[in-house]
Amino acid sequence: MKNIKGALVPFSALKYLGKKPHTVRYPFEKKKTAERYRGFHFNEIEVCIGCGTCSTICQNEAIDMIKIEGVEPGRGDSGLRPRIDNGRCCWCGLCVDMCPTGSLSLTDQYLHTSPDPDSYLLIPGVDNPEMKENISFTKSDTEPLLQFDRVPMRELDGAERVKSFAEVVLGYMQEEARAEATRCVDCGLCVTACPDHMHIPEYIGAIAEADDAKALKYIYDNNPLPEMCGKVCTRQCETVCAIGHLGEPIAIRWLKRYATEQFPDPAAILNPKIAEPNGKKVGIVGGGPAGLSAGYYLALRGFDVNIYEALPRMGGMTFAGIPKYRFPLDSLDKQIDYMKKVGVKMHNNVRVGKDITFDKIRNDNDAVFIGIGFHVPYTLGLTGEDLENSIQAIDFLRRVNIGETVDVGKKVVVIGGGNVAIDAARVSRRLGAEVTILYRRRVEDMPADWEEIEGAEDEGVHIVPQGIPLEIIGENGKVKSIKYGMAEMVPDDKGGRPRPKLIEGDEHILEVDTVIGAIGQEADYSFLPKEIMDELKIERGRVVVNELKQTSIPDIFAGGDNVNRTMDAISAIADGVRAVEGISHYLLDE
Amino acid sequence: MSAILQEKETTLYLGPQHPGITGNMMIELKVTGDTIRKATTHVGYLHRGFEKLMEERLWMQCFPIVCRICVPEPDPNEENLARAIEELEGREVPERAKYIRVMMLELSRMATYLLWMGGQSGSAGLYTMPQWTVGDRDYIIDLFEELTGGRVYHMYIWPGGVRRDLPEGFEGRVRKVLDYLEQRLTDYDRLLFENAIFLRRAQGVGILDKDMAMEWGVVGPPLRGCGIAHDVRKDEPYEVYDQLDWEVITHEGSDVYSRAMVRRKEFEQSISIVRQVLDKMPSGPVHNPGPNPLKWRVPAGEAYVKTESARGEFGYYVVSDGSLKPRRVHVRGPAYVHGVSLLERMLVGANIADTSFIMNSLGTCPPEIER
Amino acid sequence: MSDTLQKEEQIKASINAAFRSAKVSIQRKGRIIVEFRGGILPAFASYLKEYLNFKHLSMISGVDWPEDNQFELVYHLWSYEQSIHVMVKVRLDREAAKTKTLTPLWEHAETYEREIHEMLGVEFEGHPNMRDFILEDWDDLPPMRRDFMTREYVDEVYEWRKGREDAQDVRQTIAEQYNTEVPNFNNEDK
Repeated sequence: MKNIKGALVPFSALKYLGKKPHTVRYPFEKKKTAERYRGFHFNEIEVCIGCGTCSTICQNEAIDMIKIEGVEPGRGDSGLRPRIDNGRCCWCGLCVDMCPTGSLSLTDQYLHTSPDPDSYLLIPGVDNPEMKENISFTKSDTEPLLQFDRVPMRELDGAERVKSFAEVVLGYMQEEARAEATRCVDCGLCVTACPDHMHIPEYIGAIAEADDAKALKYIYDNNPLPEMCGKVCTRQCETVCAIGHLGEPIAIRWLKRYATEQFPDPAAILNPKIAEPNGKKVGIVGGGPAGLSAGYYLALRGFDVNIYEALPRMGGMTFAGIPKYRFPLDSLDKQIDYMKKVGVKMHNNVRVGKDITFDKIRNDNDAVFIGIGFHVPYTLGLTGEDLENSIQAIDFLRRVNIGETVDVGKKVVVIGGGNVAIDAARVSRRLGAEVTILYRRRVEDMPADWEEIEGAEDEGVHIVPQGIPLEIIGENGKVKSIKYGMAEMVPDDKGGRPRPKLIEGDEHILEVDTVIGAIGQEADYSFLPKEIMDELKIERGRVVVNELKQTSIPDIFAGGDNVNRTMDAISAIADGVRAVEGISHYLLDE
Repeated sequence: MSAILQEKETTLYLGPQHPGITGNMMIELKVTGDTIRKATTHVGYLHRGFEKLMEERLWMQCFPIVCRICVPEPDPNEENLARAIEELEGREVPERAKYIRVMMLELSRMATYLLWMGGQSGSAGLYTMPQWTVGDRDYIIDLFEELTGGRVYHMYIWPGGVRRDLPEGFEGRVRKVLDYLEQRLTDYDRLLFENAIFLRRAQGVGILDKDMAMEWGVVGPPLRGCGIAHDVRKDEPYEVYDQLDWEVITHEGSDVYSRAMVRRKEFEQSISIVRQVLDKMPSGPVHNPGPNPLKWRVPAGEAYVKTESARGEFGYYVVSDGSLKPRRVHVRGPAYVHGVSLLERMLVGANIADTSFIMNSLGTCPPEIER
Repeated sequence: MSDTLQKEEQIKASINAAFRSAKVSIQRKGRIIVEFRGGILPAFASYLKEYLNFKHLSMISGVDWPEDNQFELVYHLWSYEQSIHVMVKVRLDREAAKTKTLTPLWEHAETYEREIHEMLGVEFEGHPNMRDFILEDWDDLPPMRRDFMTREYVDEVYEWRKGREDAQDVRQTIAEQYNTEVPNFNNEDK
């Protein structure tokens, strides 16, 4: 029986004669691929930043980063773009999932046959712009491979902070730093934005590898004040971080701070090799970040370095201008002490032009470096500005930092929206005052760091945006109140950012004890003799220098706020580092 | 056949290219007449050195490699490596991802069995079956394509879960394919499993001694075809297999036919398992993210994990020294045992024409032997 | 937790009682690691197989530990009755790696031993059939040794395709754009 059944079974296949076949029929119809199909690459060239993460993750080494026409390197863009060797690619799509900007994707196109091996090299987005219509496999928001969230930084609570000048930011613990450093993809785009071009991926990599000493070596290679930068740097690097395109940038500043804080004495780790004295002397006017950086690396190279500083401590604006809750004294001292160990000679309380003449410094040395900074404030240009208790933020912060007792009364108004204004406001809070900030434009227009603005608000600083001071009203020669008008933002005719325009009649009066102006500073060149002033090229208050920070007078170099426009500590350090090259070149003919 | 011919021993080289297996492998046969007296396997045509390559790659970069260890059935490899890493790291996998993984593994089992059905019947000279089953396998491959973006190599199961959630309406399309395949089973039965030719060829051929099977490290359908109820999914349940309703399938007989029937029934069972998975699948995330793959260090340690593939126990021994790259990833493919030492033994006394037939019933897969 | 590890604890106790040279640790439920330092591995394996029912030899792995100048062989055994996987680890001197074959206990150990012989260079005394396995006519260093440099081998044996020489390193390109040099502190003494 069984065998008969078996013999008949094949005939049951006859029923298929009437069925529609599964196979593809002529004329040929190309099957539509699935929505997530992983075919040829496509790259949004304008969105791509050339970080090379795709190339790094590719386990087939199928992706090259190459220079292509029409893409220029710049801030946050390496100028390179990926090229895929489709002869090696296995279409795993890791490159897409790893792409920090989401520019790279895979398309539903997959057919290519050619005897020419070069035709398998594809620059996605350049060679196949038409495939933009065919994008299929894209980065997922919900199943990320990269870590887009920053390890949060612990801080003192706002109410706690205003009680003292204790440091607000508490710094990463070891585990937190390792975790944060692990987020980095090592692309190095941050370096393009750092004025000093620090070795950022290298030191972050070392922290991730749990080798903090190695991190410190990378850091000190071109920044002798890293602990200061780790606390107060304007961190341009973080604005271009690859991870920052879709997530929160790596906390580069806090990681640097972490690395430097691990070692009470950098000398023990760095073991600096100091060259034999080369017989050349360099005098440095101004002990700010620019002068100190120049001094440190010059000393390492065997120069005899003397720094002259008018204030009782080194550090320039980082000492006099930055409040101690951001940059404590012991941290500054630690870094200055290390420099002294290296052999930098420092002279405090020496104001050049008063305690010693510039000519003497110039005659005693083979080269001079000027890093005097901007310490003279702009005036507000308001009626009543000369009244007692109408003061300048720069002077105010310096007096507080030096340790003088300053009485600001119960109510303070700070005018301005930069970091100095915020600093003055937060310091006033710590002195027990109620503080209001008057700023001409909107909060989002404030040049101050957003973290600083938030910090001020947490501490109870009241910000009045679009408020323009009109007059300071006095009584018995002292400030009594301030009159200000509200402004509306109107588009700029020249296409710039919107300008504030006073609203007629919308005026307010605020009772105050102290008005603090913080709208900018300039340099004081009065210490320079006339012959030098005549010869030295100065434009708009800044000394003009070349690539190597040499001024129009060959043996005079300059750097810092009185040279660059970015006016922050890291630019000053960069100037100092470059000037070392310039001075070495000039004196040693290297 | 004359007496002289029967006594003279001849050497035959079967392969490296030949029907019945997925990949290249040669068998040197000493035969008298058409009876095999001695079989010697020669492998090495497909050695890609994956285990060595993985030692020089970041952990994440190993995933595009492991799926290529077994061409017809890549998913158990991804599953194993992912699970080994998760064990080393102690990383949790979201519940939904576990269900999706089981669905993937079962679909992959079905796809492999379809390919096997084609190979098994093809090596018996029944050529309609491969055309049907390879065609039907494409419906599963289409599902893979829709879910993962890749048809054959999926790169889908990865540490911490799976790579993407199911697309809109995917569940319905899976059910449709399951319904279709279930109904097709009747056709397969008529064409192959109840086919008189197949029964004659398969019954009593390729006998694997029941006691020997355990000693020899035989796993999967060949073991269960000896009536021994062992299955990794039950012996050491992973993912959510212990929450699903199914029993280990066995078949008495120890021959090619019983192995075929085990697979045939498991195919049916897989349909039921996938349906259960679809019914029970919870909502939620499908991926528990880990560190940035470029700086990802897996804690030092070792893990042996195993998955029941369509050919049996697929094991991974993963050793980490705490660095960015694996110290050792050693792959135990079931075919390593079945396709070399066991095959050499089983072919003795067999008919030349049954060589491919027997190889197929053991699930021989050279890419997995050599890696 | 301890009650669920009961079977594992029993096995550990049995092994400890029978073999002093075996250091047993329970990795997790269903996983036991035995570091076996004695010379007579076949006796120990036979004990596991016959007395403790570890009938199934899953595989034999070879791991290279050049920093210890040792190879580690890991015998993976499974007991169907108890659902326990035991990894027996044996360390061999890397310079003269030699051990006894387990083919009398498990015939399919033959293939694993052949492969380890080929890939690491371990000798298995008493192995019946030590012919080439995957690598025919190989005369280089056994390739699974850590000091076999894949990249060098590839550079030597194969030809890289032409036309990709213009590839640039992103980090290096950026450094050059700003005339900076990235120092290397990787190999400095700490």
